[in-house]
Amino acid sequence: MPDFTRARSRVITLLSVVLLCACGGGSGGGTVGGPVPGPAMSTLAQLGEQIFNDASLSASGTMSCATCHDPDHALSSAANEPVPAGGAGLDVPGFRNAPSLRYVAKTPTFGFEDGAPLGGFDRDGRAVSLMEQARRPFLAAHEMANTAAADVSDKLSQATYATDFKAMFGNDVFDQPEIAFDRALTAIARYEAEDPDFAPFTSKYDYFLAGRTQLTAAERRGLALFNDPLKGNCAACHPSGRGSNGEPPLFTDFSYDNLGVPRNAAIPANDDPTYFDLGLCGPFRDDLATARELCGAFKVPSLRNIAVTAPYFHNGRFATLAQALAFYVRRDTNPEEWYSVDAGGAVHKFDDLPPQYIVNVNTTEVPYNRNVGDQPALTPAEIDDVVTFLQTLTDGFQL
Amino acid sequence: MQRSTIRISSLLHAAVAIAVGAFAAPPAAAATQQELEAQLAALASEVSTLRSELARVSQEQQATNARAAVPVQVLGQTTDSATVAEAESGLDFFGYGQIDYSRPKDEPSDTTETVSRFVVGMTNEFDEKTRMVSELEVENTVSSADDPGEVEVEQLYIERTFDDRLFGKVGLFLIPSGLLNENHEPTRFYGVFRNRVETAIIPTTWREGGMLMQGTTEFGLRWDAGLTTGFDLSKWDPTSPEGKESPLGSIHQELALAKASDMSGIFALNYTGIPGVRLGASIFSGDAAQGQPGFDDNVVTLWEAHGTWTPGKFEFAALYANGHISNTSKVNLTFIGNPTLIPESFYGWYGQAAYDLFDWDGNSVRPFVRFERLNTASNYSDLSPGLTPENGPDQDIITGGFSFLFAQGVVLKADYQHFHGIGGSDLINFGMGYQF
Repeated sequence: MPDFTRARSRVITLLSVVLLCACGGGSGGGTVGGPVPGPAMSTLAQLGEQIFNDASLSASGTMSCATCHDPDHALSSAANEPVPAGGAGLDVPGFRNAPSLRYVAKTPTFGFEDGAPLGGFDRDGRAVSLMEQARRPFLAAHEMANTAAADVSDKLSQATYATDFKAMFGNDVFDQPEIAFDRALTAIARYEAEDPDFAPFTSKYDYFLAGRTQLTAAERRGLALFNDPLKGNCAACHPSGRGSNGEPPLFTDFSYDNLGVPRNAAIPANDDPTYFDLGLCGPFRDDLATARELCGAFKVPSLRNIAVTAPYFHNGRFATLAQALAFYVRRDTNPEEWYSVDAGGAVHKFDDLPPQYIVNVNTTEVPYNRNVGDQPALTPAEIDDVVTFLQTLTDGFQL
Repeated sequence: MQRSTIRISSLLHAAVAIAVGAFAAPPAAAATQQELEAQLAALASEVSTLRSELARVSQEQQATNARAAVPVQVLGQTTDSATVAEAESGLDFFGYGQIDYSRPKDEPSDTTETVSRFVVGMTNEFDEKTRMVSELEVENTVSSADDPGEVEVEQLYIERTFDDRLFGKVGLFLIPSGLLNENHEPTRFYGVFRNRVETAIIPTTWREGGMLMQGTTEFGLRWDAGLTTGFDLSKWDPTSPEGKESPLGSIHQELALAKASDMSGIFALNYTGIPGVRLGASIFSGDAAQGQPGFDDNVVTLWEAHGTWTPGKFEFAALYANGHISNTSKVNLTFIGNPTLIPESFYGWYGQAAYDLFDWDGNSVRPFVRFERLNTASNYSDLSPGLTPENGPDQDIITGGFSFLFAQGVVLKADYQHFHGIGGSDLINFGMGYQF
């Protein structure tokens, strides 16, 4: 019977993924000003919204999905700290900066294209679907800290919307905790795919590309620097142009890159000098552990709403956009500004990577293709212009 | 033309017969001087009438020749596809085809061979003044979702003759621009492939829907004036390189559910009054906004001037074409971040020389050489510093080769193309073509 239950659960999961993809959970285009007005969210998505915001589903009773994906902060963490803490006592430190969930449903499934990794959910792409992505925080000890699916199912059965849940999935749904958990994840995924707040396309830049507003001189300068292959070259990984069918840009190509981001001492796990977060090849993802050339690579994030989703990078190493940009352009010209320096004055460049993986760091593309003593690709004034431009990517612009 | 010749011959025979009858036959009875004078007057009147008729038929034949002569300058032939069928009344067919082999000198793995085009045409003469012309083309052999081919209705129009020197077309027809657009059959141009200027700048084979009036004069001037559909700038894809390859080729509509809220005008002149010489020019202009959101006053203007000269066995040809699209800044700002923005101007020119090296029994070997320079994005309107794309490079193409024409409608070709300014390997090309 347990085997049958698990098999049925897998079938339901697969069906849910198919349903999700068929109903827009893929990487379809967007419309400036949000999705075309249509019917309200489905009943399933409305149920998903309640689950998404339900703090009673965590061990602490105070943490929900929305805690780290706050609608008021473009669905990223409201806490301006590198990594959020969770667990029953909200005292178990995390490992990675919580990303924004805006436009998350437009992420392609993880795979390899021309030999390079692409897409997938989470910073290392290990989740193959929105459902799978939503599953992990419920069970992670440093997040909602449920012990098992049954733990979540029990909490769901006592939720204020339990009657609606049973009406939708059957009165006996809570008799099968795995199925109940899967159904809850399906509802969350539908919510993330259907709620216009997850893909509003209402930034100033969206309206600019639609020809409905103009950028200021500083914003245009910043945009030009952002696109210029010899200056910022940001658009190489964060495309800023509309797609072939006119859909607004997502500011990510969903590729992976190893930037050699400095180690963040504010993450307790980093107290252990043998601990390294290597992205694609572990420790949280295990299927690519032997792909040594991928060690240290993380998924290129969308820059939409980047001005309101600090801190930055997978380890939350930088608190401001200006710092993040300065790191990009001065990493190789002035490494002492970013990495630990020993008593002898030697700079430990790329200090968040084991020595054998330093070779994986991107040192060939602009603006990284420089050496100590070279001029950085951007001046401080140009960095200010790029920051000004990036602020136009925040949704909610009023015409 | 054959029918006109018969009519002239008949008239001459009649005139001779009347004259012989009048002066050589013995009178049945003696006539008075008054009767003879009356007969002479009547005879003079008939001769005058016949002369007038002869002059009218002669003019009609000249006009027909003039219409046929305009498109015929490239390889010296004397008819075009449509006029071949004109010789016969009623239903008739014509066609042409082309198979090409192209081998990049430095990248042989990119070598291709294809049926570039297979064309069948059908005409029907409803009466002496009205006919239908159609042309159906298959490119690259197989057209399906998984194959590169295309099937196109290239021409479909009704032509009406109003008088000896005035004609009208309505429907889908070729725009009278440049040397090749109306004369694009493989036996009409030098080189395995059509020249780049009349592909990238003038989007040969360029056709539009609408109406066109065409007239000829006694001194060898042909004029064309028409109102047609035009380009659709909302088709511009800034993510595709197509717009850099041919700005107008990427936004032409080919009367395939063409947006037609904005119409365009075409006016062309061609002078062939001097034997062996053709001089011509044309201008096409119209708004390509087509009422689409975000597009406004995007007038596309393409003008060109061309000439051919055939002194003896030599053939020379030259052409200059220049295109302009207005008010592109507003649209281009919405394309920021993409690789292919809309150019404000583009141009191209070429010079070509050929020589009829051997000519026997209607067979001919003609070596040629051609130099082309073009720029598909010679200028962009200003956006703001850093956002305005850099102007495109001048592209030079030198082509040398020969055509072997035989059987009055078949050609074998070979040429070598050298490119400068756009990268890419030199090409070695072979081709065969026919036209009937």
